[in-house]
Amino acid sequence: MKDKLSKEEVMHVAELAKIKISEEEVEKYQVELKQLLNDVEKINDVKGYDEDILIAPWTDKTSLRKDERGIMLQPKEVLENAPRHSGNYIEVPVVISEGEGA
Amino acid sequence: MKYLDKSIKEINELLKNKTIKPIDLVEEAFEKIEKNKDLNAYITLNKEQALKDAKELENIEVDNILFGLPIAVKDNIVTKDLLTTCASHILDNFTPIYDATVVEKLKEHHMIIIGKTNMDEFAMGSSSRTSYFGAPKNPWNKEKIAGGSSGGSATTIAAHDVLFALGSDTGGSIRQPASYCGIVGMKPTYGRVSRYGLVAFASSLDQIGPMTRNVYENAILLNAIVASDEKDLTSARKEKEDFTRLIGEQIRGMKIAVPNYFMSDIVDINIREKIEEIIKLLEQKGAVVDYIDVKYLENAVTLYQIIAMGEASSNLARFDGIRYGHAKENPESITDLYYGTRQEGFGQEVKRRIMVGSYLLSGENAKTYYNKALSIRDDMKKALEKVFEKYDLIIGPTTTTTAYNLTDSMDDPRKSFMDDVLVIPVNMAGLPGLNIPVGFSKDKMPIGMQIIGNAFEEAKMYKLASFIEKELNLDLNPFGGEKND
Repeated sequence: MKDKLSKEEVMHVAELAKIKISEEEVEKYQVELKQLLNDVEKINDVKGYDEDILIAPWTDKTSLRKDERGIMLQPKEVLENAPRHSGNYIEVPVVISEGEGA
Repeated sequence: MKYLDKSIKEINELLKNKTIKPIDLVEEAFEKIEKNKDLNAYITLNKEQALKDAKELENIEVDNILFGLPIAVKDNIVTKDLLTTCASHILDNFTPIYDATVVEKLKEHHMIIIGKTNMDEFAMGSSSRTSYFGAPKNPWNKEKIAGGSSGGSATTIAAHDVLFALGSDTGGSIRQPASYCGIVGMKPTYGRVSRYGLVAFASSLDQIGPMTRNVYENAILLNAIVASDEKDLTSARKEKEDFTRLIGEQIRGMKIAVPNYFMSDIVDINIREKIEEIIKLLEQKGAVVDYIDVKYLENAVTLYQIIAMGEASSNLARFDGIRYGHAKENPESITDLYYGTRQEGFGQEVKRRIMVGSYLLSGENAKTYYNKALSIRDDMKKALEKVFEKYDLIIGPTTTTTAYNLTDSMDDPRKSFMDDVLVIPVNMAGLPGLNIPVGFSKDKMPIGMQIIGNAFEEAKMYKLASFIEKELNLDLNPFGGEKND
């Protein structure tokens, strides 16, 4: 078994996680991620279990909430935590620029 | 006068007959915290508000045993108008606009929030050294780790700054630091305590629980925070019960199981010997103790790695620099904002876990790894449930070693998982688990014992824990203060 991931594999994983990583970090993660993935591979050595799965250890029957008005968060206080906001809107960089899109 | 060294019954009496006021307790707590500042137990102190809250309580009748008592809250539990960072740069400017359900419960009981405790970043780690704010130190030896991820909560209780703290436990994060710091820590049954307002790490494993200097106070705090909560779909709809009700009962006839794996050579010999001493004591007092094999225990860390990292990668996708928290300056595009914010905001351990988690959940891998882990998890839960058909409780050591040095290497990404090998099975099965101090190593570091109960049988665990506590009567103040009741 090889002891590290390729640079491309690390970049792929970082892409999945939406994290930008530097050149130096790529080298570090080639080894560290491989160590963790080797550990995870041990799952294939476990035998004898049945097909049932457990998603959460405890779930009650889903019950519906009463249909009544509760306390609502106010836009002003919600927006105060947003790094960029204007009026009642959260600002984000341009998603579709002129000339793009349909 | 040191009021916080008294039992909570005594403090309650003093408050009732107006010998003291809540503000005396709050001021004493802050004096102690100031004196122990080098322990780095807190990320944020809530001094101004706490003093104000204490003043307001002077006009209210003392209505319960927790009235006016200061409490520390782990910094991944949201507190309205009080900074909640999860020990991460990505949330170091985040002020929540609502209280977690547990925080509402504390306030209903007129407890006073003294501050937010240090922890591993997003609770990912076992030594609290992944905190963006530096690691807390172990009060028994300041060169040692406090454990993690609830390291700050364990530190402040062990140092006797305050009597009560909340922690959270995803794979041992209450019990393991409780063991390293010589305090009582309970991870309740999954569903017992509402997770609403606990910043999610691995949603199917996370649970909030009490951390205290003794068993009785632990049960009292659990009484206060337990609630069915319609804001948490996984919250259990259970009748209220008094978790102290079996404390003081004899243990004759109790049936206790010790998994052989818990006493195998993965555990330091001195810890095993200490646990064997306790087993002998229990047998002398009429309990029946059997060593048994439990299937899948040795696979728990692997299951945890897959499930916890997978769920973490999904839960932490919300940190995007848009709605709250840190954001990259002058992003060139929306993609640059996401990627750059997460690069700057998350620490190494968190990045590693999110990357591996994303990989494990992507495409076919979800079937190869995640689904398989869920299948084995189900079998492991069944194997543990089978034990409880015959036994009241399971016991064993909480950790494989005592607390190690703060300067020990952090290079091996697997180390933080292996530290929790004995505490992870409880989270996998959703069972309650408790740490109780049972002695000290040769270098005077605390040794902890884990008590595991069947689902929703916390009261039985407190019964055994309080029995052991009383028999051993250990001096658990690292600074040699007055002895507690």
